[in-house]
Amino acid sequence: MPSRRTPLFGHHNDLGAKIVDFAGWEMPIQYSSILSEHKSVREGVGIFDVSHMGQIFVKGSETIDFLSHVTTWDMHRQKEGDCRYCHILDEMGCIIDDTIVYTISEDNYMLIPNASKISKIFDWLSRKSESFEVTLENLSDDFFCLALQGPDSPRLLGQHLNTSVGSFQLVKIGDTIISGTGYTGEKGYELIGPISEVVSHWESLVEMGAIPIGLGARDTLRLEKGYLLSGQDFDGSQTTLETGYSWVIDWNHDFIGKEALMEFQKKSYPKLRGILIEDRGIVRPGNSVFSNGIEISSLTSGSLSPSLRKGIGLAYLDLDIGAPITVEVRGNHLNGRVVRMPFL
Amino acid sequence: MSEVPDNLSYTKEHEWLSLGDDGNVKVGITDYAQDALSDVVFVELPEIGSSFSKGDPMAVAESVKAASDIYAPVSGKVVSVNTKLEESPELINESPYDFGWMVTIEPTGELEDLLDSDSYQELIA
Repeated sequence: MPSRRTPLFGHHNDLGAKIVDFAGWEMPIQYSSILSEHKSVREGVGIFDVSHMGQIFVKGSETIDFLSHVTTWDMHRQKEGDCRYCHILDEMGCIIDDTIVYTISEDNYMLIPNASKISKIFDWLSRKSESFEVTLENLSDDFFCLALQGPDSPRLLGQHLNTSVGSFQLVKIGDTIISGTGYTGEKGYELIGPISEVVSHWESLVEMGAIPIGLGARDTLRLEKGYLLSGQDFDGSQTTLETGYSWVIDWNHDFIGKEALMEFQKKSYPKLRGILIEDRGIVRPGNSVFSNGIEISSLTSGSLSPSLRKGIGLAYLDLDIGAPITVEVRGNHLNGRVVRMPFL
Repeated sequence: MSEVPDNLSYTKEHEWLSLGDDGNVKVGITDYAQDALSDVVFVELPEIGSSFSKGDPMAVAESVKAASDIYAPVSGKVVSVNTKLEESPELINESPYDFGWMVTIEPTGELEDLLDSDSYQELIA
């Protein structure tokens, strides 16, 4: 499959970005430095081109019933203008993908699947929608997504669009949706709209001082907050319960995977835990995790935390907070501990 | 445009070598290499006294995203390491040919397969 580019590819190149393949897209991994980009988002404001992410629209009179059936959340609790993070599960209770669900109106919803899961999710939803009065549209190719993130983002949004948006709320300006959402743990927004408008949004926000941020810092920013990376922290074989995200489940409604989860809940199981490395050194996905000298797991995510200046990682572990572990890196064992998340 | 000083020798693995009056060889990574790695956030250096054959991985420079092996450009024994890199790995980015040096080696083998500055310049062009 040939690589795809967003309309901003030329802009990224002109800024000197290092480009990598991500889920079949040529995306900027960094413009100047992951450390400085990370800091810009924690302390100022950054802008991300995440137009590779998907946009699936669900419309029709049974939209709320349908989305409540296929996600872990009861959409009857959503009000117009609400955004909700939830999981889409298979019958075994395993996560197919995580997504934010946008209530544009009671019969018009939008989902944002991860780039690598767009067709999988669209096919899944299409199959499950047969007995519901809904229409599905995959408009991923026609929509852009920009993330404006950081403590200074409200000021820039006000300056750019003369609007303000609450956390996990959305407003619509013309055909563009602005939501108080993101993947960095900072105050921030995502702008989602017709792809023809992406260049003007990008150019004016950068002009106003938003620093372009690549996928490298996006990964360190999300990892410090313990956010899941689709395909890496879950790969189709873990349930929501194992990821430690049980708060995304509304048990008071029926949904695909619920029965399996209720059964699963009865046993003990390893959970995705945060690991903080106390020795100097950086851990990487795939590094083995040891407890009392015995290999018990491996890291699903691992990096340097630019904010803490220490190695951090995630692993499925049957250990309590505070438990000492070691992580093997190139034959050396680095000492660390299971810690409460978020790391920051 | 990467800096390539005239007075150094280079390897295809983007290391530089400087031959001292005592016959020992100081080794670091080039400006081009540090730029490709970007922010160096951790450096693993060999122990003083350890011996390597030419081409052995002897050190590791890590950026946020990746770990890169640094290979021994000549067979020999490590006589000193730049301990400042433990606290300040960013010296490799800031001063790759000077404060960011990594190890000095007492060669036991021949210095060979090295590039002069012009050839290295061509390699990275």
